[in-house]
Amino acid sequence: MKVLVAAKRVVDYNVNIRVLSDNTGVDLNNVKMSLNPFDEIAIEEAVRLREAGTAEEVIVVSVGTSACQEQIRTALALGADRGILVETDEDMQPLAIAKVLKAIVDKEQPSLVIAGKQAIDGDNSQTGQMLAALAGLGQATFASQLVMGDGEATVTREVDGGAETITVKLPAILTTDLRLNEPRYASLPNIMKAKKKPIDVYTPEDLGVDVTPRVKTLKVEPPASRKAGIIVESVEELVDKLRNEAKVIS
Amino acid sequence: MLAQLREIVGHHNVTTEASDLEHFGQDWTRFFKPAPMAIIFPKNTEQVVQIVKLANQQKLALVPSGGRTGLSGGAVAERGELVVSFDKMNQVLSFDETDRTVTVQAGVITANLQTLAMSKGLYYPVDFASSGSSQIGGNIATNAGGIKVLRYGLSRDWVAGLTVVTGAGEHLQLNQGLVKNATGYDLRHLFIGSEGTLGLITEATIRLTRSPPTLKVVLLAVPAMTDTISILRTFDDRVDLSAFEFFSDQALDHVIRHNSIPLPFAVRASYYVLLEYEVKATPDDVAALDAFESCVTAGWVVDGIVGESEQQNRSLWKYRESISESITRHMPYKNDVAVRVSQVPGFLAQVQEKVESAYPEFEIIWFGHIGDGNLHLNILKPESWSAVAFKKECELVSEQIMSIVAAYQGSVSAEHGVGLLKKEQLHFSRSPEEIEIMVRLKDVFDPNGIMNPGKLLPGIS
Ligand SMILES: Cc1cc2nc3c(=O)[nH]c(=O)nc-3n(C[C@H](O)[C@H](O)[C@H](O)COP(=O)(O)OP(=O)(O)OC[C@H]3O[C@@H](n4cnc5c(N)ncnc54)[C@H](O)[C@@H]3O)c2cc1C
Repeated sequence: MKVLVAAKRVVDYNVNIRVLSDNTGVDLNNVKMSLNPFDEIAIEEAVRLREAGTAEEVIVVSVGTSACQEQIRTALALGADRGILVETDEDMQPLAIAKVLKAIVDKEQPSLVIAGKQAIDGDNSQTGQMLAALAGLGQATFASQLVMGDGEATVTREVDGGAETITVKLPAILTTDLRLNEPRYASLPNIMKAKKKPIDVYTPEDLGVDVTPRVKTLKVEPPASRKAGIIVESVEELVDKLRNEAKVIS
Repeated sequence: MLAQLREIVGHHNVTTEASDLEHFGQDWTRFFKPAPMAIIFPKNTEQVVQIVKLANQQKLALVPSGGRTGLSGGAVAERGELVVSFDKMNQVLSFDETDRTVTVQAGVITANLQTLAMSKGLYYPVDFASSGSSQIGGNIATNAGGIKVLRYGLSRDWVAGLTVVTGAGEHLQLNQGLVKNATGYDLRHLFIGSEGTLGLITEATIRLTRSPPTLKVVLLAVPAMTDTISILRTFDDRVDLSAFEFFSDQALDHVIRHNSIPLPFAVRASYYVLLEYEVKATPDDVAALDAFESCVTAGWVVDGIVGESEQQNRSLWKYRESISESITRHMPYKNDVAVRVSQVPGFLAQVQEKVESAYPEFEIIWFGHIGDGNLHLNILKPESWSAVAFKKECELVSEQIMSIVAAYQGSVSAEHGVGLLKKEQLHFSRSPEEIEIMVRLKDVFDPNGIMNPGKLLPGIS
C-alpha cells in the first residue's frame, strides 16, 4: 500500500513572531523555517507503517516555494521514499492546497493520506477535511492512535473531553494530533542517503488547479501585551495592592 | 550590629532566620556547612558602600552572594560571616541601542539578561545550564564561560564597564562602556574573576551583539575520547562552530534516567560529541555533511543525528545541559581542568589511565567544553561513603590529576573559580611569585581582609 504524507514549511514553532510595522503580515525575513510539527508526526507515522511492512511506499508532498525542497529532504531523511514538490510563489490558502493535494491523490492513488491536524502558521485546521470532501474519501481527524486493519483503519481521535474510536474504510484521510507518536531525529547517514531519493516537481498549472487566493488578509496585529509584574515587599503591601489597586478584595 | 545593618537597608532586608542562613550561606557545593551570622539584601551601590564601611569598622567578614550556583564554594559562609546577597539588586538601569550595551545591577539573573537582549532584537551569548539562577555579578566574579565560549568567549569579553565597591569602601566606576581606553591599568579586569575577594560588583555595563543566524545541533556517537579533537578540527575547517561539547555514555545514562527521556541513538557509543554550527546559507549544511562523512571514514564517528527544528535542537542540548543536574544527588566531586586544545588527546589519555587505576570503586562521569580544552571530571560518591571521607579521598587523587595538569601547563580551574574547594591546588597553575603578587593586590583593595576571607588564595584566613 502507498501512503501519501503532506509536509508544510512553516515558521519554526520556537521563533518569536514579529508583526510587520504596516500590519500586512508577519516578518519572514531571516526567520528559521521548519517542518510543521504536526506534519513531522504524520511523517513519523507513515515511516512506522513502512517499517512495519504495512506500507510499501511513503510519498511526501509539499506545496509552496522551491525552498520547500528543504522540508521534503528532511522527510526523505526521516524515511520517506520519494518526494513531490508542487511549486508556486502564490500565497497558498487551505482550499488551494486541498485542491492540489486532490490532484496528487488522483495521480498517485494512495490508500492512506496523512496530514497534520493543522499547520501552526495559519492554524486553520481545514486542509485535511477539505481534501476528504474533494476526493470523496473518509476522514479520521485529530488522530492519537492508528491501527491498520484489512481495508480499513481504526483510529482513536482526540475530542473535547476525551477520546473517540472510529473505523474508516480505506482509502482515507488521517490528520494527526500531538499524542500520535514522538518523531525521531534525522540521522546524518540517512540525510546523505536521502540526497539520492527522487523529488518530482510540478506547478499547480501542470495539475490543472487554480490556486488564486480567495481570502484577503485585511490586517495582522500582535496579541495585546501583558503588563509586567511587580514584586511586593511584604504581605501587608500585597493586601494593600489587592484591595486598593487591583480591587479584587475588599 | 544587626540594628546598624537594618538601619542601612531597612528592617525587612536583614535576616537571621535559620532557614535563610542555611539557604543563603552556601552555593551549589555540598561539602561545607553554612554558618553565616546574617544575610543582608542591599538595593543599591550606596547601601553597599555603607555596609562595607561598617564591616571595616567592626572587622566583620563579608561574603558576596549571587545566584549561589557556584561550584567551588566561593559563596559559602561557614565562619559567621555576613552574606551580602544581590537578590534585590535586580534592576535593569539603562539600555543603549547605538552602543548595544545594557547597564544592570549585579543581581540581574543571567537568563533575564538574555531575554532582555532578545526583546531588543539582540543577543547575550554567555550561557550555561545554571543561567536561570546565576547572576551577572556572580558570572563576572567567576569569569564564567559556558557552552558558547568557542564562538563568543567568556564573561570577561562582554563586560564594557563595572561599578564596584572595594573592600576599603571606595566606590569605583571602571571603564564606563568605552571600547577603547588606553589610560593605564584596567582595574575592571582585576575584578573579573576575583571571586568577591577584592570587593563587591554592584553594577555592570554589558555588551550585546546581533542575534545568531540559524543554528543546527548535531549529536555524534564517538567510540574513543581521544578522537574528539580530530573531529573538532574536521568540522572547524568547514563550518562556523558555536559549540563543541562532549560527554560519556555514563553521563548520558544519568541524564536519561533523571529526565525520563529516550536514548538519542539506537546503538550506544562510549562517548558523544554535541556540536552546534551556524547556517548562513545552504552550503553550510553541505559542508557539515562533508565533515561528518570524513569523520566516519576516519573511524572517529559511528553515527550522528541532527535537529530539524528548534524544538529538536533544544531536546538534543538537554542531553548535554542536564548532566550536572542529573548527578547532583550523588554529591559529585568536580574537577574542572583545562589544557591547550592541541594537548587534549594526550592529556585525556593520561588522566583516564590515572583515574581508572586510582578510583576503581568510584563512578567517573566525563563531560566538558572540550572545544575549549576544558574537561569536567566528576567523581560520584558511593552511597556507603561519608561525605567527609569521600572528599578526602578525592583530594588525594586530585593531587595526582593536578600534577598531570601542571605537567601540561594547564589550569586547575578552567571556569568554576577557586573558592574554598580548589585553593590548595592553586600552586599547580600559578607560580609562588604570582600568588604572592595576588596576595599583595588583595591587600591594596581590601586592607582589612574583610572580603571573602579564606577564598581563592591559599593560607589566608
Ligand atoms: C548546573 C550548573 C552548570 C554550570 N555550568 C557552568 C558552565 O558551563 N560554565 C561556567 O563558567 N560555570 C558553570 N557553572 C558554575 C556557576 O553557574 C557559575 O560560576 C556562575 O557564574 C556563578 O554565578 P552565581 O551568581 O551563581 O554566583 P555565586 O555562586 O553566588 O558566587 C560565585 C562567586 O562570585 C562571588 N560573587 C557573586 N556575586 C558577586 C558580586 N556581585 N560581587 C562580587 N562577588 C560576587 C561570590 O562571592 C563567589 O565567590 C555551573 C553551575 C551549575 C550549578
